Amino acid sequence: MRAEGTLAILDRWGRAALPGLTLLLAVLLTLAPLRAPWLSDALPLLPVLVVFQFSLVSPERLPGPLLLAAGVLLDLLLGGPGAPVGVSALGFVLMRAAIVANRRYLLGVPFPFLWFAFALLTVGFVVLVWGFTVLWRWSPLDLAPALVQWGVVVVLYPVLGPLLARARPRDPLNVPVQARGTARGPGDAS
Amino acid sequence: MAIRDDFEAAAGQVRNVVQRFALALLVVAAFGIMLVGKVDTVAVEHARVVALDLAVPAIEAVARPVAATNRAIADLKEFASLREENARLREENARLLAWQTAARRLENENERLRELSRFREGPEASYITARLVGDSVSAYVRGALLNVGRGGGVAPGQAVVTTEGLAGRIAETGENSARVLFVTDVNSRLPVQVERTRERAILAGDNSAQPRLTLLQTVAGVQPGDRVVTSGHGGSFPVGIPVGEVVAAGEGGVRVRPFADFSRLEFVRVVDFGVAGLVRTTPPSPQPAPPGARSR
Repeated sequence: MRAEGTLAILDRWGRAALPGLTLLLAVLLTLAPLRAPWLSDALPLLPVLVVFQFSLVSPERLPGPLLLAAGVLLDLLLGGPGAPVGVSALGFVLMRAAIVANRRYLLGVPFPFLWFAFALLTVGFVVLVWGFTVLWRWSPLDLAPALVQWGVVVVLYPVLGPLLARARPRDPLNVPVQARGTARGPGDAS
Repeated sequence: MAIRDDFEAAAGQVRNVVQRFALALLVVAAFGIMLVGKVDTVAVEHARVVALDLAVPAIEAVARPVAATNRAIADLKEFASLREENARLREENARLLAWQTAARRLENENERLRELSRFREGPEASYITARLVGDSVSAYVRGALLNVGRGGGVAPGQAVVTTEGLAGRIAETGENSARVLFVTDVNSRLPVQVERTRERAILAGDNSAQPRLTLLQTVAGVQPGDRVVTSGHGGSFPVGIPVGEVVAAGEGGVRVRPFADFSRLEFVRVVDFGVAGLVRTTPPSPQPAPPGARSR
């Protein structure tokens, strides 16, 4: 085994920590008092974009328990009195599972299909959060603001998604390596 | 060889089961957290406060470049309209000078009348100036985070005002952070009165920009343009803090546009009026706080 230099170790650690740190930053950015009229609406869904993108390119660096913690943190920070804590965590975990299950397909399709998948999964997330919030409050809530948030983040995806995707390790020829265990289905173990 | 293959296949199956089980476990954990939050609201509040205290310094760091960007955009906009702004301000200044004269006269008159009637004023308010470090705004919440908490004298239930009028009230406090619930939030219920007719009403937020005014007596008297001020009922706020202006009164109910501009809040004042409210657990100190703003 070859001895690793300090830089190589730092590089490895940085890569391993990058998705988690980006997610944390996105959660904190959610609360940043941005005054841009449309952009600030989309901020609460920024973590969803991060979860989607990193679950797609490197799910092993964004494990489920981390998503659970990040979701709970988001709910604690964002939620006012009466809002359910943990619903974002549930959404994140389900989203990761859905992506990992279809990952090999999603990595191969052209961008518009990916975009569509993002829109589909995020609308699921938005409706899930809305549903639980209504259930928890036991009073009707307008879905329209949530849908506006969704619309803005879907429009933002082509800008931010590829930017985050550049952070994945550069494999030669971009062949999924064995270390990405989640990419392999149960039938692959031949 | 065959044994080894069998072993590998079995290991793969076990790994597979664990992976599937992991998802179920995570989902169950998320549900568990939600249920715990529903049952034990005190624990959740505590967790919220701890998370808030931990996150506020980080949010401040994140928010600083954001604030700089906002300021730059605002500066550019102002620069473009400098001339008109100047003219407008001059006009406003002339108008305000007239008001100042009127106010001085009224103040004198008021003082004399108070002396005559031996009116005793309530405890004087003390102010804590706080910087808004974070938005707590999503599709379901309308609020903000402040950089001053219990350590600075902020307590739940205190009024949060801007130069224009009431913004909301303190909902939670950490050691060095606090969460404001705006009057537009769906959880906000504020006892108010219509200034002109003295009709009492409840201003109920519904997460829209214009909260709904529910009149306790009659709808007939309210017109668009009427000012709405706090009524002091319920005991958490004193009488007469300006809240907003009626913009629509009709079949669809009465709507109020708050005076506070929530989209450009940067500094707010947390006001302790020393009024014993429903949310206070300890009685206010009998000594009035020293006048003047304590600021951080």
